[in-house]
Amino acid sequence: MEKEAILELRNIRKVFDKTVALDSVSFSLYPGEIHGLLGGNGAGKTTLMNILYGLYRKDEGEINFHGKKLNIQGPRDAIDNKIGMVHQHFLQIGNYTVLENIVLGTNVSHPGSMDLSAEAEKLADLGKRFFLPVEPNAVVDTLPVGTRQKVEILKALYRGVEVLILDEPTTNLTPQEVDDLFDSLRVIVNEGRSIVFITHKLREVLHVCDRITVLREGRNITSLTRAEASEDIFIRAMVGDQMEIEGSVYFSHAKMANVAANESATPALEMKNVGLKTKEGISRLTDLNFQIKQGEIFGVAGVAGNGQRELAECVTGVVLPSEGSILMHGKDVTALPVNELLKQGVAYIPEDRLHDGFLPKANVAQNLILGYHRQKPYYEHGLIKWNTVYDKVRGYISEYNIKTNGPEDPGGNLSGGNIQRVMIARAFSMDANLLVAHNPTRGLDIPSMDFVYNKMLDHKKSGSSTLLISEDLDELLLISDRIAVLYRGQILGILDRKDFDKYAIGRLMSGIRAEETADLRAAS
Amino acid sequence: MTIVRKTVPYLIAIIASFAAAGIFIALTGANVFQAYETILITSFRTPNGFVQTLLKFIPLTLQALAFTIPLTAGKFNMGGEGQMIVGAIAASAVGIVGADLPAIVLLPLVILAGVVAGALWGFIPAYLLYKFNINEILTSMLLNFVSFQIIDLVATGVWRDPVAGHPTTVQIGAGGFLPMLIKNPPLNAGLILALLVAAGVYIYTSRTAGGYELIATGANPRAASVFGINVKRMFVFSIVLAGGIAGLSGVIEVAGVQHRLIVGLQHNFLVLGVIIALIAKGNNLAVPFVAFFIAILEVGASAMQRTMNVPVEMVFIVEALVLLFVLLSDVVRRR
Repeated sequence: MEKEAILELRNIRKVFDKTVALDSVSFSLYPGEIHGLLGGNGAGKTTLMNILYGLYRKDEGEINFHGKKLNIQGPRDAIDNKIGMVHQHFLQIGNYTVLENIVLGTNVSHPGSMDLSAEAEKLADLGKRFFLPVEPNAVVDTLPVGTRQKVEILKALYRGVEVLILDEPTTNLTPQEVDDLFDSLRVIVNEGRSIVFITHKLREVLHVCDRITVLREGRNITSLTRAEASEDIFIRAMVGDQMEIEGSVYFSHAKMANVAANESATPALEMKNVGLKTKEGISRLTDLNFQIKQGEIFGVAGVAGNGQRELAECVTGVVLPSEGSILMHGKDVTALPVNELLKQGVAYIPEDRLHDGFLPKANVAQNLILGYHRQKPYYEHGLIKWNTVYDKVRGYISEYNIKTNGPEDPGGNLSGGNIQRVMIARAFSMDANLLVAHNPTRGLDIPSMDFVYNKMLDHKKSGSSTLLISEDLDELLLISDRIAVLYRGQILGILDRKDFDKYAIGRLMSGIRAEETADLRAAS
Repeated sequence: MTIVRKTVPYLIAIIASFAAAGIFIALTGANVFQAYETILITSFRTPNGFVQTLLKFIPLTLQALAFTIPLTAGKFNMGGEGQMIVGAIAASAVGIVGADLPAIVLLPLVILAGVVAGALWGFIPAYLLYKFNINEILTSMLLNFVSFQIIDLVATGVWRDPVAGHPTTVQIGAGGFLPMLIKNPPLNAGLILALLVAAGVYIYTSRTAGGYELIATGANPRAASVFGINVKRMFVFSIVLAGGIAGLSGVIEVAGVQHRLIVGLQHNFLVLGVIIALIAKGNNLAVPFVAFFIAILEVGASAMQRTMNVPVEMVFIVEALVLLFVLLSDVVRRR
């Protein structure tokens, strides 16, 4: 059954400055299919789809839609041709209601009175058909991420799209929400629409996609149907030949080499009733109690914005908790400032690398010593020993594979992934005994992620501890010894590695406590 | 290689600005080439011309540094002029009150008083920034006007020199004079102070941990504070240090050049300091070189006015155009 492709992208090429983002990439989409676009960071997936959606102009190549050549100048053209895209960062107006956001930019039936009852009806109908229930009069700002994503998908369906592009749609969803999303997607394509599903998560594509195209470094690697596919083929396609898969943590099916944490020693970190309130008195963290043992990787899961950043900043001394105390190796460090904590062996990889961790106007060497510039071997008698710094920095540049012209290259020349490598190199440069890592692998390609995991496991083996705060549940499941789930600034539960269960964590992530789940199970 | 690459845009900018300003000079009816010859040669033709240039170079360098140091931390000190005046007032006050003290006591006191007064004048906007987050551009600039009134008060009040035709104080004690490097034409030791300060600032910013913290603060204050640098303290420190350096330039005008306090001693130093700092793109090492170049233009321009009747303001056009073209060359290179 050779179906006719409704959409075809041929030999698309796109160059940013000197980097070739897409090199003669082709892609075709059949009606009624979910087509996975798979690849690591920087593979060109999003760039390709941004070209289709009109956000970027292509340098070369052509787009055929329904057999006709399509000239897309901007998102307006894409929307007029019934192509819709849901971005990773939602484009919504926070203080508008769901309904207002959805009708924004369309013709409404009563523009004078803004009586939207007809539109509300249409929306309710769409919600029912595609299992995307939302409250039309809720203000978008008050909604959780999972619901806001439903709004975004409804927005596209409301405009009658035939092709729906989803960019990393499962980021920040709980496993339950991911399942629900996949159900909805199936219904959407069953009515003849097509979906492009951009992701770097192999298991998701294998789960939901009919056909899968793999990109790597801006090139087509392979395109296969699910029936033809095996996990191994895709792994190889995603990472290329240079990566050693055997020793990889990222693709390991076996449980991580379990190095037992030191149970008897004093905990590396102890949080006692820690709470944090904003100036306005709003609670960001409430009554946090946990211990991180020496040699333990302690994961913190949760949907973004549930207090992760505040937790990281309390532990690293960036903000002072309003209640409770923090102990490191038995010593009270609650009131110590950041520079003292860094001296005592804390390392920090902040989530928002551009704002919280990086000096774009300073050079690579200056960036790599930030925070450690008053410590040996960089510092002596008030002076910075730049020769030593440069020697060290050259070592880090090659070890961490930072693509730069050298220690004196301005930070602003670095790409996002390379900036992240600088963050990681800096955090591991001082043999810290407590690493606070917040989304440490964001923006990294697979071999680099693997490198980071191996570094963290080495760190663990040497008896040091890690507070790993991540929005990537797979990452947490992969290398944590225990996982705590943060919800609205509270820890709803802490699971041991033997009890790890995606769905149990997912329930906690959406605010359902363990005893409540037990009740539910008993009731059903 | 990198030095060549960095200076070429400057040379092009200078040539382009001379060419553009030449049009205006021609419009005044003067001979363009003769005008430029006067501007560029005056400083080197006679010993007097060269010393005049050095005497301009001293306050220009210090004023420019008083702008670049806070700029390194990402802050704008628009109060260099006021800090200079207040420094000059304090130096004069000490020099007049302690007129009978021997040089070994009086001179250090004069210098110290001026530097501390300038630093204190810088501390006011710095503290307002630290405590209440009030924009330092506004406060430092407004304090200049306050200093104008104070200098008027001092120069027409108790210490007024009744024989002078211009608001001026009496002379400070001879013990407060800066020693002369050359007697005739007179060149005072302020030159050495200025060069030492410039070298010190360069070493401080490029070699010390404190200087590194200043740069990190300017590069991204949020990241600097997340990694343990007290950025608010760096802001205050940078503006206070700048105030002290501007105060020193006031001291040198009083103790080195005039030996008394004269109303109007600040000339155009604030604007020129900012122009020098921006042409140097905030690079502390480049500041003395740019300052010397601007000093040549300034001295040459007064000569041009004397000999050719071309208004001295013409050289402002050149200076402004140099800055404009240097900034433009950045944009062009990025394309």
